Amino acid sequence: MRFIVLLLCLLSGYASAHQFTPTYPTLTLSHITGVYKAEMLLFNTRKEIRYYSLNVFDEEWNPIRFASESKLIAMDYQERKYVDIYISKKDVKKAKYICSKSKILKSIKDPSIVASRICSKIK
Amino acid sequence: MKKLLFLIPALAATTAVQANIPINGTVESKCVIQTDTDGVYGNPTADKLSTTASDGGVVPIIRYDIITADAYKAVVTTPNSFSSSPTLDDVVEWTSSTSVGDTSDAGMSAFETNKVTYNNGHSTEFDLTIAGSVWFDVSSVAEYGYGKAFPAGNYTALITAECIAQ
Repeated sequence: MRFIVLLLCLLSGYASAHQFTPTYPTLTLSHITGVYKAEMLLFNTRKEIRYYSLNVFDEEWNPIRFASESKLIAMDYQERKYVDIYISKKDVKKAKYICSKSKILKSIKDPSIVASRICSKIK
Repeated sequence: MKKLLFLIPALAATTAVQANIPINGTVESKCVIQTDTDGVYGNPTADKLSTTASDGGVVPIIRYDIITADAYKAVVTTPNSFSSSPTLDDVVEWTSSTSVGDTSDAGMSAFETNKVTYNNGHSTEFDLTIAGSVWFDVSSVAEYGYGKAFPAGNYTALITAECIAQ
């Protein structure tokens, strides 16, 4: 019985979820001199969410400068997107967390909305 | 001899048909945040909005799925202001709590015991020390002025659910 429940859970997928992986990204040299890169994967199955913002922080949660294709990522429902985060060499040692956060449109009028944020830790 | 020459390619073809095709997969560490149940504010008295069932509301439920133990902590922050509402000319007093609801593992009751609350009770932190699924129940109550009636209109408040790698 437990196996059937587990199987149903696995097959049904996530109805309304936010995923941001890997948990522990590594920074590697990019094709630009003096710039390091982390490859992240964003997955959106939240129907009401169309945008995710990206941020990089240090150990004390101070923002760190970074570059990516866009700091606001447009995501369709059930879309999976690879995102490259570029950090300059001088900030590499300081950078600790890479976060993605769901952005809620002003037009959404649900009485109680959940904003989700997932932060990966740079190793 | 000729028959033997025909037989060798035929045998080789048979081997190719029976070849196994592998399916590869990797389960990697991750945190998945799901909005299980959308919350609804009930309006039991004119000056009160509450997600509690006894007040006519619906408690928002957030589900966290964790693949690896000790990799993440969960932080749930309840609202201390409305993200949209009619114009309010008096103070709103907020009270809230976040607690562990259903779990996929009995040991996850320790999440509730060891939770840390800060930010005037609006933020609750849970160490996700056991892999599996956990559902967090969030209650939010807003009381207006000193027994003042909330103006008619739509009210929206925002809960923030975070999963932070550690």
